[in-house]
Amino acid sequence: MKSLYVLYDQECSLCLSCGHWLMRQAAFIQLRFIPLQSPEIAQRFPGLKEWDGLDLREKLVVVSDEGAVYQGQYAWIMCLYALRDYREWSQRLAEPLLLPFARRVCELVSRNRLAISHFLKAPTAELRNTLAASLPPVCSIGTKCD
Amino acid sequence: MTPIVWTYISYLIISVALTIWVARTLFKNGRIFLVDSFLGNEPLADSINHLLVVGFYLINFGYVTMALKSADKPVDLQGVLETLSGKIGWVLLILGGMHFFNLFIFSKMRKRALLQNALPPVPPQVFVQGVTP
Repeated sequence: MKSLYVLYDQECSLCLSCGHWLMRQAAFIQLRFIPLQSPEIAQRFPGLKEWDGLDLREKLVVVSDEGAVYQGQYAWIMCLYALRDYREWSQRLAEPLLLPFARRVCELVSRNRLAISHFLKAPTAELRNTLAASLPPVCSIGTKCD
Repeated sequence: MTPIVWTYISYLIISVALTIWVARTLFKNGRIFLVDSFLGNEPLADSINHLLVVGFYLINFGYVTMALKSADKPVDLQGVLETLSGKIGWVLLILGGMHFFNLFIFSKMRKRALLQNALPPVPPQVFVQGVTP
């Protein structure tokens, strides 16, 4: 696994701030951010929409470059797993004792993300652009990519 | 030679021997930990091991030489043994502390290496085909 795609809500300040925080951390796995409003999701992950369990509106979703999809608390844990200083925390949270707790917190935060965002500064274009810069261009047949 | 000189000479011989013994144990048995921590990079592990042992020698010999002078001057064999035992006791405690500190460093390095190679802690919910990187 070389990179993780984080599907975030660009309408929510909390999500943008979290994304920005994730970007600034030293990482084992490169994190790339795609707004869930973007048509690029279907372009990059054509098979994703076919999955019945997909809940982009209510839950955080991350997809690895190998096509593994993590949703909800698993997605949060995978974000921590990608970071150098927080990988240990991801292992701790994934233990059976803490996982239900992580699920509850993640659901609570995800469901109320817009309400929480009211207390934060409105997202700036600069913040959006910073996150968008993490995304390499789509490589399709015929285009030259690294 | 006065009893205090005998105390000093025995103290130096015993302390130096103990330090060398502990350092050699650390050097021999710490290597395998370090090789594992540095993902099988043996030259790097050997180099770090050597540097750690040099630091270990410096600190211990430094302490041993600084703690040589004794406030109480023994006049007979009983006094010599008492003074010697107190001094060697301190050397042993310092060596023990240093030894555990080194083990702590080894285990920290190993843990970091294990963390770097750890598999994802949670399984994916689904696999999707046709991911374009």
